[in-house]
Amino acid sequence: MQNQKMKKTKFPSFLVTFGISYLFWILLTWSTEPQELVAGAIVCVAVALFSARFFVHNDGTAFGGPSKVFISLFYSFVIFMIELFKANWDMAKRCYGGCKKVNPGIVKVPVELKSDYGLANLANSITLTPGTITMEITEENGQNYFYVHWIDVTKPSGKEAGDEIKGVMEKWIRRIWP
Amino acid sequence: MTALRIIIDIFIALGAFFALAGVIGIIKMPDTYCRMQASTCITTAGVLGVCAGALLYAIFVMHHPATAVKVVVIAGLIFITNPVGAHAIAKGAYQHGIRPEKEMEVDDLRRDFDE
Amino acid sequence: MIEFLIFAILFASFAIVNLYRFIKGPTAADRIVATDAADIMLSCAMVLFSLYSGRGIYLDVSIISAMLGIINTMLVGRYLDKGRWVKKHDSSENNN
Repeated sequence: MQNQKMKKTKFPSFLVTFGISYLFWILLTWSTEPQELVAGAIVCVAVALFSARFFVHNDGTAFGGPSKVFISLFYSFVIFMIELFKANWDMAKRCYGGCKKVNPGIVKVPVELKSDYGLANLANSITLTPGTITMEITEENGQNYFYVHWIDVTKPSGKEAGDEIKGVMEKWIRRIWP
Repeated sequence: MTALRIIIDIFIALGAFFALAGVIGIIKMPDTYCRMQASTCITTAGVLGVCAGALLYAIFVMHHPATAVKVVVIAGLIFITNPVGAHAIAKGAYQHGIRPEKEMEVDDLRRDFDE
Repeated sequence: MIEFLIFAILFASFAIVNLYRFIKGPTAADRIVATDAADIMLSCAMVLFSLYSGRGIYLDVSIISAMLGIINTMLVGRYLDKGRWVKKHDSSENNN
């Protein structure tokens, strides 16, 4: 008797996996003939039956409303792009200047977010901006901490480094996922 | 029409500029983690510049929706999957014992964790 | 029209220059970072060449290359990973 049972496939997660794989099928074939559509539907049902339990764990209602979708679109296409361009310009100056102005270090940064989606989103945002990479997430006494590799340590580890690294990104992510 | 072509060229040239910065960083940076930081420059600004130029060209010059959708999907895939790999490779390299030759001034991971 | 070809050749040559770090790199992490960057730049070069030649098949190749490039990195990252870290006991007092 095995201790660890496989999780059951929930119907909403099956539906989400089926939709995404069917979108990819239509994208790669790019035709609307009925033969192609039926064959794609059969393949996608098989794929979703076998693999939905690994991909989606809850029922896909994490957004919770159209206003949050709008805020997240605004965040990812305006706010995040400005941050990305500033960090890229800084990194390009550093690289063209001969790669001598570096002072690497790993700092520990407190994070106010609580939910898993928010933590993952903030960690990915920090990693995508050049100059910072999130290396580890820990939790101590209800407070989450990131360990961030920073290419130019100018502030002491803790809250000041956190304000410098996270910038305005955390404030916007808190409006989407608290 | 000519102005549009010039805008497209400027986008792609910006992508090539940042990609060259990333390549110089990968070759000349002093240690492993700094090289990872430089490679992020390629995967964000280089991909974004090239895909923005290609999207404008596909919409306004080619009038071909399949190309536009596929270019957006390429940019989205790279943007979603790249930080996951960066986390994995940075954490794995640190746990494997790869350290920079010059000691880092602030190293909270070494302070807080036993190896 | 011709400038897409020029930029595609430029990106492909960047990817080839990047392989210097793959050959010389002292550790496995250096090598996998260099190959990942070369993969993504070849993907960009294929997008540009598809616009130049007007054939859509290069975009499909580029999508698949961008999807499978993550597997290299994840595989080597998990291989270098040694398991869980053990937290020191005195760390909770002197945090920040």
